[in-house]
Amino acid sequence: MTKIELETGGSVWKLLVAEGDAVEEGQTLFILEVMKMEVPYEAPQSGTVTALHIAEGDSVAEDDVALEIG
Amino acid sequence: MSWKPEIDEIKQRRALALGQGGPDAVAKQHSHNRLTIRERVNQLLDVDSFEELGPVAGTPIYNDKGELVSYDPANFILGFGKVNGRRIIVGGEDFTMRGGSPSPAGLRKSVYAEELAVQYKIPLIRLHEGSGGSVGGTSGKGPNLPGPVNAPSRFRSVAQAMATVPVATAAMGAVAGLPAGRLVASHFSVMSKSTAQIITAGPAVVERAMGEKKTKDELGGWKVHTKNGTVDNGADDESACIEEIKCFLSYMPDNVYQLAPIVECEDPVDRCEESLLEVVPRDRRLAFEMRKVIHAVFDEGSFFEVGKGYGRSQITGLARLNGQTVGVWGNDCKFLAGSMTADGAHKARRFMELCETFSFPIVTLVDEPGFMIGSQAEREATIRHGTSAVLTAAMTTVPWAAIMVRRSFGVAQAAHYGPEAYVLAWPSAESGPLPVEGGVAVAFRREIEEAPDPDAKRRELEEMLAAKQSPFPRAEALSVHDLIDPRETRPELCKWLARVQPLLPDLLGPSAFAIRP
Repeated sequence: MTKIELETGGSVWKLLVAEGDAVEEGQTLFILEVMKMEVPYEAPQSGTVTALHIAEGDSVAEDDVALEIG
Repeated sequence: MSWKPEIDEIKQRRALALGQGGPDAVAKQHSHNRLTIRERVNQLLDVDSFEELGPVAGTPIYNDKGELVSYDPANFILGFGKVNGRRIIVGGEDFTMRGGSPSPAGLRKSVYAEELAVQYKIPLIRLHEGSGGSVGGTSGKGPNLPGPVNAPSRFRSVAQAMATVPVATAAMGAVAGLPAGRLVASHFSVMSKSTAQIITAGPAVVERAMGEKKTKDELGGWKVHTKNGTVDNGADDESACIEEIKCFLSYMPDNVYQLAPIVECEDPVDRCEESLLEVVPRDRRLAFEMRKVIHAVFDEGSFFEVGKGYGRSQITGLARLNGQTVGVWGNDCKFLAGSMTADGAHKARRFMELCETFSFPIVTLVDEPGFMIGSQAEREATIRHGTSAVLTAAMTTVPWAAIMVRRSFGVAQAAHYGPEAYVLAWPSAESGPLPVEGGVAVAFRREIEEAPDPDAKRRELEEMLAAKQSPFPRAEALSVHDLIDPRETRPELCKWLARVQPLLPDLLGPSAFAIRP
């Protein structure tokens, strides 16, 4: 189980995966908008999205867990 | 009768001193995967180069007949040594005795380290593991009486060392109190992620005073201190810490009266890196990797990053151009858009003070959108820390070259251009009082609200103003020295460095303002 934690706060601009999706290492999972810039988060490993804690438009904070890959 | 009995006793004392806290204490140290201070010193220094000072300082224990039966050596090791052929001062607490809490002779040796470095004008390296003072005092029998009122401040030499010679430190195990203070009184500090904690006071003291139950790692492990700037870098283990210190030292002169060593450079000064042509996306919302720019521009493999884990919107470190040390400072737009945060400003100020102290030219790669905004930024006193960085830049005397890579906005951008900076702009450069996306909504609020399609009006205004932030009008007005093809960055910087190098000897000696921890 790998938790994807946010390095900074911001808002969720685009969510590109859903719970249960298979993802591959390096695949973009979601894009935060931080200070008017797009910050993509990539999958550190291949696996399945086992839990999703964010939705598009959400305001998020540093260290929040965005999703989990199992 | 000869002096043989005394000479035998000298030999005996020396042998006992090498035993440190005894076989059991040394075995315990090893069982925690930590080296002893003597092993650390050996690992740092060139083979057989250690010249120990005060090897027999310590506390002898005699029997009733006045014969020496055992001997507690000072729990601080100190001496001269060589690192890659360069003479340095090295010191560190011996954790196998009293947990590194200073013994009377240990304390004397520890405060002598800075004095020696200043006296001999050579770098000081401290390898720390130890706690601070004890209510039992250095003797263990009760608190020490303080020195006389006219005794020199113990910390004056610590400050003088930082103004005179490079000081590099490592936390190898738990470091608390005075050793923790001395750890951070340095130009470069690194902590071992697997064995070190840095704590102002340990769990027992914290629980008694604060009612807070925390382990040493929770209070002061690497996850806390590489992120808050207490130390500059984290390294996997003790050996990795020593390698980081050696690497840092390779960029440094012996003292502020000398220029940094110049190494042979095999990387051509006229190398044009093709990747720079498209490293900055045309879409202004898309981020890029400033570290790729840094690696492409400076001598191959020469970038040594300092403080990667904190103040992350600012990237600082040392690198070489044509074999010569320069300070490098860029923005990381992937972290809070590269904006100037309170901790980023603190990191930048220390970086500039380091360069000023040792007369390093500064190269900035500017992509600065301005001070960080929002409630957290206000709580962190960003404007004060940021302005401190801006004024530090304004007071420097070293040569600066600034590459306007992308954004250069607001008061914060001024920190990236020292006095008389040589400024080159990439075609992607944009600058002004503030980025248009935020500024338009404020400056043209009424016009946007009254338009039939406010969104379209806002976009139209943004595009119109963005065009005016192009670097061409700046170049026409000689507000930059030149517009360049990004691929020409390395050749242009190498030419600049050749021009400013003859000015550097005039900058040597103590700086007008001192570097602060």
